[in-house]
Amino acid sequence: MKKVIILFGVLISLLRADNSYELGDGVQVASLPFYLGGYISTEYRHTKVQDRYKIGDIALLGYGSSNNFSYLTEIEYKNLYTEKQENDTSLVNNDTNLYIERLYVDYTFNENYMARVGKYISPIGFWNLLPINVLRDTTSDPISTNIIFPESTTGLYASYTKFSQTEFKVDVMLQNNEDIDGKYNNYRTNRHYGLGISYAKSQYTFKLNVGYFNKLHSYIDDDGTENEYEEESDYDDEYIEKSNTVQDLYYILLSAKYENEKYQFLSEIGHQESTNGLTTPYAAYVQGLYRMTPQHMAILRLESYEDKVKNKQDNFAIFGYTYRPLYPIAFKAEYQFHKRPIDNKLQLSFSVLF
Amino acid sequence: MKALVKIVLILQILSLFAQADEYIVVTHSKIKNLTKNQLKALYLKKLSFIDNIKIIPLNLEANNKIRKSFNKHILQMTPSHLKRYWMTQHYLGHRPPHSMTSQESIKLFVKKVDGAIGYINAVNLDDTIHVIYRWKD
Repeated sequence: MKKVIILFGVLISLLRADNSYELGDGVQVASLPFYLGGYISTEYRHTKVQDRYKIGDIALLGYGSSNNFSYLTEIEYKNLYTEKQENDTSLVNNDTNLYIERLYVDYTFNENYMARVGKYISPIGFWNLLPINVLRDTTSDPISTNIIFPESTTGLYASYTKFSQTEFKVDVMLQNNEDIDGKYNNYRTNRHYGLGISYAKSQYTFKLNVGYFNKLHSYIDDDGTENEYEEESDYDDEYIEKSNTVQDLYYILLSAKYENEKYQFLSEIGHQESTNGLTTPYAAYVQGLYRMTPQHMAILRLESYEDKVKNKQDNFAIFGYTYRPLYPIAFKAEYQFHKRPIDNKLQLSFSVLF
Repeated sequence: MKALVKIVLILQILSLFAQADEYIVVTHSKIKNLTKNQLKALYLKKLSFIDNIKIIPLNLEANNKIRKSFNKHILQMTPSHLKRYWMTQHYLGHRPPHSMTSQESIKLFVKKVDGAIGYINAVNLDDTIHVIYRWKD
């Protein structure tokens, strides 16, 4: 806990030293090509059987660029404090380890090509690109972003981009090694090869991702503790995969987005299979977001998926409301109506970007 | 007849005032004309090189009339949309373009720094810089 206080003490004193600082902008350190920022998130979740309080996602960002090089690092307390209350019992978990969420160096060759080495967020679909609460539309993530592909990749990344009247981009991901700090990656893997093609014109963007990864025995859960795979009753806000078998998995994800000043429509549909058969025949969502004012947003998301590994199928609707007094501060509320009423849940969160 | 001439003259004078301002994006570097989409990508930091030259885009201050026109016609984004955009870019490790206080300072910077580009009113163009994009308000 001392480390947390020291880290944020340093950040706050830097922010106070910069008179032109605005919340959410980050701060430059001593005219160096080095910017600091961070974010925090707290959440409350209520279901019929459990209440959960969580202080997670306390993170510091550092980044900068010089000539053709740029770099980014993000260190994070993932689940600093989690309390689950169930049947008059309370279970508290503290994970005070700092994790490396991202760590990479980019080299831009020219207007078309760039390469990256390190640990990065897998550039798959739209939702996965901004995985932190304060930047997401809702507190919860769509299931399709959690069960189809590895959320982060450690290795090489390269892209080709062409801007003319439209924007065309190709992403290539290559991992052939262990993850850097892979505890909170949704899949534990040491091999991931992915390809993405995206096309944007005016306010429309379309994207196709395909890939292969091998799933090692995974041990991840959303609270940082090891639980048996069978004990997980739902997908929660972070998917937990646990299996003792190594599996070769193949995925495909199709994504589409339309955005204007008032509305945003987002849809992703994914499919995953192994060499032995189907694992996720489909996982999809359609989301509409309406900005009533720059501060108030209403969200409706419809989701459906079938998971053969867990033998589970669900259709559900999420009604969300987000209030941003300033854009980098988000108060969010959502209610999920599931096929089985016992899975219904209320989620509230507060998050800030520095 | 005299009245008609007066009306025509008055209308011509009024039309001069009503003429749209023309703005230009200028550079000192060997950069060819840009498309609107390329310019947008450069100012949103999606693109950082043109013809193997590292581009340094320059803004005027947030309340400047030319900047507001640039945001509307080139970026096609409102101030709140831009704010949202740069918050997410901060998380992704990208910074917004530097802001200059005047068109003169933009011209000076552009003349001295290779790859710098900036927008000014077309009436301020001189032969030390060249135009790579034009638009009218």
